[in-house]
Amino acid sequence: MVAFRSTDASGRTTGLLFRCVLFCLLALALIIVDKRYDHLGKIRRLLSVVAYPVQVAVASPFEGWNWFRDSVTTRDALRSDKAKLEAELRVAQFRLQRYEALEAETQRLRALRDNTAGSTDRFVVGDVMNVDLDAFRERVLVDKGAGDGIYVGQAVLDSGGVFGQVARVGQLTSEVILVSDAAHAIPVQINRNGLRTVAVGTGDTNRLKLPYLPTSADVVAGDLLVTSGLGGGFPAGYPVGTVAEVKRDPAQSLADVDVKPAAALDRSKELLFVWLKPQAAELQPPPKPAPVPKK
Amino acid sequence: MMRETRIRRLPMALSALVALALAVLPLPAVLDAFRPDFLVLVVFYWCIESPRAGGLSLAFFSGLALDVIHGVVLGQHALALTLMGAWATNLRLRIRVFSMLSQCLVVFALLTGYQFILFWVDGATGNPVTTFFRWLAPFIGALLWPVLLGVMGKVHER
Repeated sequence: MVAFRSTDASGRTTGLLFRCVLFCLLALALIIVDKRYDHLGKIRRLLSVVAYPVQVAVASPFEGWNWFRDSVTTRDALRSDKAKLEAELRVAQFRLQRYEALEAETQRLRALRDNTAGSTDRFVVGDVMNVDLDAFRERVLVDKGAGDGIYVGQAVLDSGGVFGQVARVGQLTSEVILVSDAAHAIPVQINRNGLRTVAVGTGDTNRLKLPYLPTSADVVAGDLLVTSGLGGGFPAGYPVGTVAEVKRDPAQSLADVDVKPAAALDRSKELLFVWLKPQAAELQPPPKPAPVPKK
Repeated sequence: MMRETRIRRLPMALSALVALALAVLPLPAVLDAFRPDFLVLVVFYWCIESPRAGGLSLAFFSGLALDVIHGVVLGQHALALTLMGAWATNLRLRIRVFSMLSQCLVVFALLTGYQFILFWVDGATGNPVTTFFRWLAPFIGALLWPVLLGVMGKVHER
């Protein structure tokens, strides 16, 4: 850089022009190489490691405050929390009783059809980092990266349903694109009647759209949408959202369907990264329970 | 000469780091669209105040940092910041004698140019963000310019 700096008064303007053109060409070359070819993945991964301290530094006061708030909770609050969680666990266990049997049955039926697409293999839990990425894109940064085996295109769930998929992987962090991002689409089917379609994001965190359904399609407000497992990116049968409103304009050939996402897109702190089971025809044992999230 | 530039490098780097942290500071979703481009303002300040200390290099590498942090195509912010930084450097002698209002207007023009290049690269690489809200940032950034001058002046005097 020192070589490019011209210190004498006469040469300064030319120095500026020279450096400006040089940096611009460099930036343009970066844009083209990053867009057209896939060579910059490693560089980006390295740079994301450099950016990591800044992101951690920004997120840490919030983490610290949360920790402080957690550690000064009163005994009463903890007791009521515990009671609530126990009640929830009871209900969940009651629902789980038949799960193993059903899972095995599904596996058997799928094996009969030579189709194990879309069953999940294992999970990893990641925490959303408290940093803002881009005001106009629905993305979050998560503290699991290539080091944990995360890959681009991996399905991400939260406790409510499908959250999104991995858009970019760094060494220590990864970027998750939410189902509500305007550039995101996910194959779904209506749980009630199996009607398949595609749900696309709107850029609004609380709204998805089903733009490809004809006005005559059998869809009503309140219908549950689940992933169809087509396309191979997402596991089948996970809730994506519920239909909030169906507008049918007789002059249009397509219906205007609004969907409320099932995942808490703007609130979830813990996300599940899902590995799909490799395509195989043979019978598989039921999947192991998810590993306990580490503190 | 050498001493002079060396003295200027530290506040430069520090202010850029602080601005970078402000760029990723979590804000409520409602306020997020109103976030001014702090790092861009800081780069403009150094381009105008001490262009010989490497304002343009600062512009390029700050842009690269923004690219990585925002997770967009590599080189987008770098290109925009370099071009606008060069323009600010070119205008620096005039800007210094301008009244505060005129300075703000110039900064508004620079920020709008910056935003336009981002917009253009977004479109050229196939993921356009067409919301009207992205044009708010230059406006707010220009309003913030006098504040930044005050704060940076304090930092610079030390």
